[in-house]
Amino acid sequence: MDRRNFLKQVLLWSAGISTSIPSFRIGSELLAAEKEAPLVSHATGKNYHELVARVLEPLGGIGKFVKSGDHVVIKPNMAWDRNPDQAANTHPLVVKALVEQSLDAGAKKIMVFDRTCNEQRRCYVNSGIQQAMESINDKRLAYYHPDKRKFVPVNIERGKAVNRLEIYRDALEADTYINVPVAKHHSLSKLTLGLKNSMGVLGGNRGNMHHNLGQKLADLATVISPKLTLIDATRILLRNGPQGGKLEDVKITDTLVASADPVACDAYATTLFDMQPDEIPSTVAAYKMGLGEMHLDRMQILQA
Amino acid sequence: MKLRHWRRLSQILCFVLFLFLFIKTDYSGSNELPYAVNILFRIDPFLAASVSLAAKTLVSLMWPSLIFIGLTFIFGRFFCGWICPMGSLLDGVHRFIPQAHAANENRFRSFKFYLLVFLLIGALLGLPAAGYFDPFSILVRGLALSVYPALNVLATSFFTFTYQQMPEWINMLTEPAYAFLKKTVLPFQQNHHDLAFVSFFILLAIFILERLERRFFCRSICPVGAFYAIFARFSLMRGKAGTKCGKCRNCMTVCRMGAIDEERHISPLDCNLCLDCVDMCPGNKISFGFQQKNIPRPAFALSRRTFLSSLALGTALPFFLDTRTMAKSPDPYLVRPPGALPEKEFLGRCVRCGECMKVCIGNGLQPTFLSAGIEGLFSPRLHARTGYCEYNCTLCGQVCPTGALSELTLAQKHVTKIGNIIFDKNRCLPYAKGIPCIVCEEHCPTPDKAIQFREAQMLNDKAEKVWVKQPYVVDERCIGCGICEAKCPLPGASAVRVTSAGESRNPQNSLPAQSLPY
Repeated sequence: MDRRNFLKQVLLWSAGISTSIPSFRIGSELLAAEKEAPLVSHATGKNYHELVARVLEPLGGIGKFVKSGDHVVIKPNMAWDRNPDQAANTHPLVVKALVEQSLDAGAKKIMVFDRTCNEQRRCYVNSGIQQAMESINDKRLAYYHPDKRKFVPVNIERGKAVNRLEIYRDALEADTYINVPVAKHHSLSKLTLGLKNSMGVLGGNRGNMHHNLGQKLADLATVISPKLTLIDATRILLRNGPQGGKLEDVKITDTLVASADPVACDAYATTLFDMQPDEIPSTVAAYKMGLGEMHLDRMQILQA
Repeated sequence: MKLRHWRRLSQILCFVLFLFLFIKTDYSGSNELPYAVNILFRIDPFLAASVSLAAKTLVSLMWPSLIFIGLTFIFGRFFCGWICPMGSLLDGVHRFIPQAHAANENRFRSFKFYLLVFLLIGALLGLPAAGYFDPFSILVRGLALSVYPALNVLATSFFTFTYQQMPEWINMLTEPAYAFLKKTVLPFQQNHHDLAFVSFFILLAIFILERLERRFFCRSICPVGAFYAIFARFSLMRGKAGTKCGKCRNCMTVCRMGAIDEERHISPLDCNLCLDCVDMCPGNKISFGFQQKNIPRPAFALSRRTFLSSLALGTALPFFLDTRTMAKSPDPYLVRPPGALPEKEFLGRCVRCGECMKVCIGNGLQPTFLSAGIEGLFSPRLHARTGYCEYNCTLCGQVCPTGALSELTLAQKHVTKIGNIIFDKNRCLPYAKGIPCIVCEEHCPTPDKAIQFREAQMLNDKAEKVWVKQPYVVDERCIGCGICEAKCPLPGASAVRVTSAGESRNPQNSLPAQSLPY
């Protein structure tokens, strides 16, 4: 090596060092350690109306999440043309109780909708949710089918697998977004819980979400973050999800799980299926992005 | 109120009823339709005759047409003047499409009879073409496949414009208006149809023919009119005009059907009882009544040669149909709606009314172009990429006026196989690229899913070994609903397609796994 070549090499190497941006990887473990352990509440009972109030009590009641004058979106899963017994959609009584209690808490407007997989009207009717909503006679409740004009493109700044999604405007603009999924089996994501239910606010070709579903659901959770997740596990679908159709696949559990931490809520609900949170890719991905806690031993789990 | 005002009132009421039933041909919150939305087709005696000849049996669904045959024996072609929605539309637009030449020539008047003969003999021998000329088929098909969806495009574009571009205070007005229209007259969803333009132009042609003569279609083409004319010849009530009434010829000029000749005879073959002549006659010489025995019964005035020719044509043509390749190997992608009869019977009964395509909530039923032959044009098929067959829906069988699609119970529907799916492993992502997907499996509606998957290790495009779930179909469970094809997230063609293989209605088309009929 001659002198000229040596100097050139030194300059190049040192240039590389001096221009590189110093970066410190802060592990999610470290981030999580700073946070307070999230509260997850679960309750069991046959009277679903009372059960909703009971499960929310340890979290501070509905008033903690819905303030007077709030615009509230309550997003159930009513994606399938199945009846309540078949456990493919959120139980209508759970949605109804949540709406009524939010109205009592002084919500200015409550919006209930889902972008369905089967034909929209059939899903709304046969899920039983349409009838439940019609029985609530309150002008503040708006129960409607999504309007195609109102899906807006959103940049997913922190997205790792997806950087742009079309999201329903009402979900983005709401003061309070409450996620009310039903817990059930799903072949690709293993279970569909809170994070998966958020797909109901997406426009466009949602099938593309399936390619790397877990990470994409976590990416979506960076922009759609519910103040409250209430998982309906009053009856859970064990096989042939997400739409089921056979009562033999349904297990009655009469349970609700609630938390302000969407990841923790999913993580705890996973145990109802005798599974562990780290088996669910979306839970793991969201935890790694710092969106919530997935370790059961770092949560405060309260039975209400 | 003058007589013609009563007639106009009847036309308006019937037309409003027609539109009401058309709009109500839709899911309404329960799987059972609350109205007999297909009634217009079931009172049509021409279609009843054609369908019964094709089916070689009296089609009981069409019994209401007997009422109208009976009424025609009494009143003549009153249907054409008082009830027919197509006739009412033509009357309604007459002012905007005036006749090009004043003379009433009636040159093609006999054509409708030749056509009728051709259509009926064709129906009997296997060339069902009634739906191409029946006015209600043309009308409902034109509305359902093109005009109504276009109306929705218009409304949606307008209200999207106001929503996106206009200030808030205008939206305060337009948004409630849009919501109201959506609730009342607009369709629930935007439908898209094959042959939308063709259907529209056929409908439009009937209006353009008004340039030749007023009610040209009714006078010269309409096979329903021709069918009624045969009975109207013997009708009890008929019009009588004065033979020595002067020179005014008002009645001849106002007659929309050209039914009054130089001698002021009113031909019951053509008269549709609009009663304009009664009101217009300055001498009040025209009257309609039952005691008119002295009026001669008019001749059909058909040429024997042309009559026999149309008979011969209708007899000969059907035998050419089986010379085509499709008689040997039918289009494998021709998937018929659930409950469809075996192909020949199905086409014999199908009157191309478009009701099933209108009511299909998945927008999956589309008119066939040529893949079922010229005699299959406009018959319904499932085009699963535009929309699938909803698992718990039986609406198409309920609206079919002729039983070409039999009315299935939900339990029957769940086991009626309209086809089977095929995966294209060269395109399906888990097979072709090692990318996880199985959207098809997620949507598969049978309680034990017809689409299953196997876990397989694949090399993805980065040459990494990955485990993916690869879908496959269980033939015994697949009913061919096509939701997998509709939801397949690939751009363009789906990686899974429905074919007619294994369809319940055709044992010749059975899959290897199914037991063969012999």
